[in-house]
Amino acid sequence: MNFDDLKNDWQADQSSEPNISKDLLEIKQAKTPIDILRKKMKHEFNYQIVALILMAAFPYLFGFSPQMKLIFLAFYAITCGFTAHYFFKFYRFYKNSYDMTMDSRKSILWFFYEMKLNIELYKALTYIIAFIWMSFITVYLLIEKTGAINRVFAKLSPTYILLNCFITIVIIGVITELWAWYYYGKYLARVKKVVDDLDDE
Amino acid sequence: MNETENIFLSLINQHKAIIHKVSKMYMIDAEQQRDLFQEIVMQLWKAYPTFKGNSKFSTWMYRVALNTALVYFKKDHRKVDKTPLNENIDVIDTDDSEAKEERLAYLYKAVQELNAVEKALIFLFLENQSHREIALNLGISEVNARVKLNRTKEKLQFIIKKNGYEF
Repeated sequence: MNFDDLKNDWQADQSSEPNISKDLLEIKQAKTPIDILRKKMKHEFNYQIVALILMAAFPYLFGFSPQMKLIFLAFYAITCGFTAHYFFKFYRFYKNSYDMTMDSRKSILWFFYEMKLNIELYKALTYIIAFIWMSFITVYLLIEKTGAINRVFAKLSPTYILLNCFITIVIIGVITELWAWYYYGKYLARVKKVVDDLDDE
Repeated sequence: MNETENIFLSLINQHKAIIHKVSKMYMIDAEQQRDLFQEIVMQLWKAYPTFKGNSKFSTWMYRVALNTALVYFKKDHRKVDKTPLNENIDVIDTDDSEAKEERLAYLYKAVQELNAVEKALIFLFLENQSHREIALNLGISEVNARVKLNRTKEKLQFIIKKNGYEF
């Protein structure tokens, strides 16, 4: 194969396609991995808002005592605080524009680290919320279901209970990591591959 | 249509072959090529306010088009069709322009087996860019650009031979 001939053929090949029209400047959303990630995070944000609104009805749905309602309110306020904090960060990520005119390495590294940072933030928020509500359920059981809990504690050894707590934490961790990978990881892996291919000497 | 849009459209229409070629290098399926083409045009339009005219418009276009293609995420991963375009083609004996078209069609098919960075290297090489220009566009050292390009050319030759097509 002669690359010089190929180069000549390539350069002689001028597009006979119709001219680009104004309509193409007004099309749909961009489809870079960052844009896809932003769109997905926006959807998750909407679901989370709906979940928070629904959660506000829990004390009435489950008939909490006045004492439990106060505890619920404290946990609910902490959840709202963390959610607001992280979603402010996600909002900044959503609004932050990117520069496609840098050299490829700089541009792709920017994409990679921006995506990685926001996926980590997403995971951190998931862990925090999961642990807040695990703690709430524990407090609820200790206060509202004292009799049942005492019976369980009497039957099971502390080691067994601790082991169960540990397994629950591991399961939450695994689910969070798998979900983040399934939902966002493939985009990060795609960009990481390009970074590695560029850096490979 | 405002004046900025007019100037931009006139500039990209002068160089639209670059966008078509990048789309064909990175996507084999016609529909995906159209999607990538639209994506590149949109990214160029979004980035246009940053174009200060310090470099040639085509140079600026290469960067935006390649950066878009490098991170573009296609919806499904179709298998690359590795069957030869036409096993009985004898390029030397056919009409010259037809042979050229055939060679390019085969090139587009063969490059689908390269990774995203290798496609960028071959694209810039075919666009007659020097090792230094390739290095500047990709953000790698000149030596690395030379080594990578040589490896990619060897790989491309191997793919073309493996698929039973020689020119």
